[in-house]
Amino acid sequence: MEPQSKAEDMLAENGNAHSASAWIQEHLPRGVWRSVFREDRLFLILSVFIGVFSGLAVVCFRFAIDWSRLYLLGTGAVLTPVRMLLAPTLAGLVIAVLVIHFFPTARGSGVNQTKAALYIFNGNIPIRTAIGKFITSALAIGSGHSLGPEDPSLQIGACIASAVGRKLRLQRDRMRLIAPVGAAAGLAAAFNAPISAVLFVIEEVIGRWTAGILGSVVLSAVSSVVVMRWFLGSESLFRIPAVELKRPTELIAYAALGVVGGLASVVFASGIAWLRPVCKALPRWSQYFQPAAAGLLIGVIAVLGAPQVMGAGYEYIDQAMHGQFTWQFLAILAGLKIVATLLSFVSGTPGGMFAPTLFIGAMLGAAVGGAEHVLFPHLTGSPGTYALVGMGVLFAGFLRAPMTSVFMVLEVSGNYSIIVPVILANTVAYLISRGLQPTAIFDLLTRQDGLELPSMEEQREEDILRVEDAMQPVEGPVLDAEKTLDQAMQALDHLECEHLLVRMTPSGWASITRQQLLKMASEGKGATSLGSLLPILQVPFLHPDHPLETALRYVDRWPLVPVVSRADFRQLEGVVTQRHVLERYREFGEG
Amino acid sequence: MDAQEAEMASQAYARYRFYLRQRPIMMAVFSVLAVLLFLGVTVLSRAHQAQRQAIAERWFNRGIADLNAKHFDAAAIDFRAALLYSPDEYSYQLNLAEALIGKGHTGQAFAYLTNLWDREPENGIVNLELARIAAQRGETDNAIRYYHNAVYAVWPSNQEGMRRNARLELIELLLRNHLKAQAQSELIPLAENAGPDPVQQERIADLFLRAEDYEHALGAYNAALKSDRHHAAALAGAGYAAFELGRYQLAQHYLQSAISANPNDPESAERLRTAQLVLHLDPFRRQIPAAERNRIVMEAFAAAGQRLRSCALPTVKASAPASVPSPGDEWARLKPQITEAGLRRNPDLADTAMDLVFRIERETSTVCGTPTGTDLALLLISRIHEGS
Repeated sequence: MEPQSKAEDMLAENGNAHSASAWIQEHLPRGVWRSVFREDRLFLILSVFIGVFSGLAVVCFRFAIDWSRLYLLGTGAVLTPVRMLLAPTLAGLVIAVLVIHFFPTARGSGVNQTKAALYIFNGNIPIRTAIGKFITSALAIGSGHSLGPEDPSLQIGACIASAVGRKLRLQRDRMRLIAPVGAAAGLAAAFNAPISAVLFVIEEVIGRWTAGILGSVVLSAVSSVVVMRWFLGSESLFRIPAVELKRPTELIAYAALGVVGGLASVVFASGIAWLRPVCKALPRWSQYFQPAAAGLLIGVIAVLGAPQVMGAGYEYIDQAMHGQFTWQFLAILAGLKIVATLLSFVSGTPGGMFAPTLFIGAMLGAAVGGAEHVLFPHLTGSPGTYALVGMGVLFAGFLRAPMTSVFMVLEVSGNYSIIVPVILANTVAYLISRGLQPTAIFDLLTRQDGLELPSMEEQREEDILRVEDAMQPVEGPVLDAEKTLDQAMQALDHLECEHLLVRMTPSGWASITRQQLLKMASEGKGATSLGSLLPILQVPFLHPDHPLETALRYVDRWPLVPVVSRADFRQLEGVVTQRHVLERYREFGEG
Repeated sequence: MDAQEAEMASQAYARYRFYLRQRPIMMAVFSVLAVLLFLGVTVLSRAHQAQRQAIAERWFNRGIADLNAKHFDAAAIDFRAALLYSPDEYSYQLNLAEALIGKGHTGQAFAYLTNLWDREPENGIVNLELARIAAQRGETDNAIRYYHNAVYAVWPSNQEGMRRNARLELIELLLRNHLKAQAQSELIPLAENAGPDPVQQERIADLFLRAEDYEHALGAYNAALKSDRHHAAALAGAGYAAFELGRYQLAQHYLQSAISANPNDPESAERLRTAQLVLHLDPFRRQIPAAERNRIVMEAFAAAGQRLRSCALPTVKASAPASVPSPGDEWARLKPQITEAGLRRNPDLADTAMDLVFRIERETSTVCGTPTGTDLALLLISRIHEGS
């Protein structure tokens, strides 16, 4: 009989779960027991499955967008005015009905919903959300709404991951983390950029780096990209022009781009912050018409001469990179795209903001580059270089993902020489955006929706208390373990302190109370060394830079916790006590 | 054992049972599902790809028709549409670039062509188009580089012809930029590989002429004349080349034939006149009687005097050696001696007189420009006898 069925029989016979468990532990080989019960291994394998499923879903999503575009807007490179007006308007009506009646959770970009799954719903996202997102986003983007496929792909990936986790009844902590794993897979496949996807999910969704989760996120992202490339090829979203920085003085030009990009990010984010609540406050019946109205206005913009604002617009980013527009027209396109995206997004049309952000950034970058070339003809950077840097600038300024923005440009361009202008311009844009718009766009949206999800940006910049903030100088003498009890008593002669620290040999610390010393002295152990009298269990020590919460683990058990130098563990820097730690926290809370 | 421990053990066992029974099954299900989905998406992908390919081809064919009809705007739109569905298709990009060149949007065309060049640096059409755009932009070095690539590139058909045409365009560019030595070095292999086609030979000869390689030009014109001895342009070219080589007898022969073949050729007629004058005014030509020679010397001396009067030479600089008299003084000093009797008495005087004539013609040509008529003939004669 197999071991597990024996165990089951046992349980069935006497209902004694404990004895069955004990039997399993006793009889099953230890390696099998471990490997079966270790969820982290299972989680890694699952990550590959999630990556594959997400990759396949994203490929289908791309096909759906494509077919939607073909049938709604036509096959030509030049769209007819009738289609430009009717397609987004009628699609808007259908989308509104679908979102209101069938897929209410498909609204929005998808990033915050994934964060909500992580922090509120224990990783649970209904599969219906993915279906709704798939259909409505494909319809919206294909019909010309100014939205992108990346954020929906991210959410579709998260939904798939959540469904897989539910089927396998993962533990709660694993379930929570599985949605970001799927999100990374979805985003990586949509972007064809696994590093950026991993960074974005870590930077914006999870907010922390741990080896376990990083492995899963990377595996899922790589798997999904492999699947996506299998079907759609490995070509970049746009043809990357030759990029080089000949003179360091040209960095000033890129810094100027950072300033313009930062301001544009603020305008874009402020527009959403102002208009979204206004649209949400309108009567319920108006929600049936908001996406259609947004679609109609976008159609009007297109008919008036800027059809480039329709859809994700990657082909126009490519054209901007290759100098196919004048800088004036590029600037106009950037402005119109902000308006079009604002309309699409605040109307509740499902779709992402990544592609529009890249579009605006590319247009703005190429426009600034073109204008700078007119003013300073000796500049060597091509419009394509500025467009590429511009994409990163808006990513950093609007989405507030500075790390991702840098790596995204590097990954998309495949050119390391652009790193200095990108870092400079992105940092400038990020600082301006953060200075003028303190709340990041994703946090703003969650707060508008009445949720309080952790803000990764706020967390990154939160002041944290360290041990050195609560550390106090040592009041009494520090005894050495080689000293005898009598010598220790002499040192204590005129002092009032109750607790004493003992420096052990060759390393480590112990503590002893005055009462214990007196008791041992009365027992006639005066000539014995302290080291041999003290208990084996030593006092844990801390370093000044440790977070103060680390001290909380020890201060209730040890009245005096030594704080020692990292260079020399025997060198005492100070001590922390429970009272001082709590006082410090109280002061911090009072501001 | 308390209740809490029992509960925990029960949960652990339930999880264990699920892991052992359900998870492997679920993993197997996921694996099968992944394979099935993969197959399903493959079918979908092929359908999608086929549809896109069909749309792309439809737009491409429309673009080709527009391109052939020189409707460059429409062609560019068609090719752009085709590229939406097949963005990496080489021929679509190439044709779009050609349509853009036709529209005059060389900047955009250059971007497309550069992209194509990155993919296939050995492609002849791409290199040739890039060379043309670079030449148009005045980027001579780049143009030369792309033309060279085109000359040694792979061409889809008529490889020799396309390479020859590319080289011819390169030579034209070099000549436009006064890079005559480079042009000559390109022309020599071109001439060596050229067939007997008289049109081609004549074109090569014209280029040699423009590159001031008169010897090769004469050879190429002769080759062109082999199939048609009365080809007026070739005869005129050969006459010109022979004239520049200082072979006035030969030049006279070709130029006379050229004018017979085409009487409306004023340049050849003028050149013939000059050649005839050179032949007539050269006192050092062989087998002429002394009287005739003296008469030519006197005529030349008189013409030089006339030239001096019409073209005032600058006064002698203070730094010049005092022993060197000015051409005017020298001419005035010799004038009384240059008579038939004087020349007969002193045969060396003819050489002295002609040296002065040559000096006057050379110096006046640097001050007043290339002369015409007799003066030009005398100047050319001076070049024939330079250093002799």
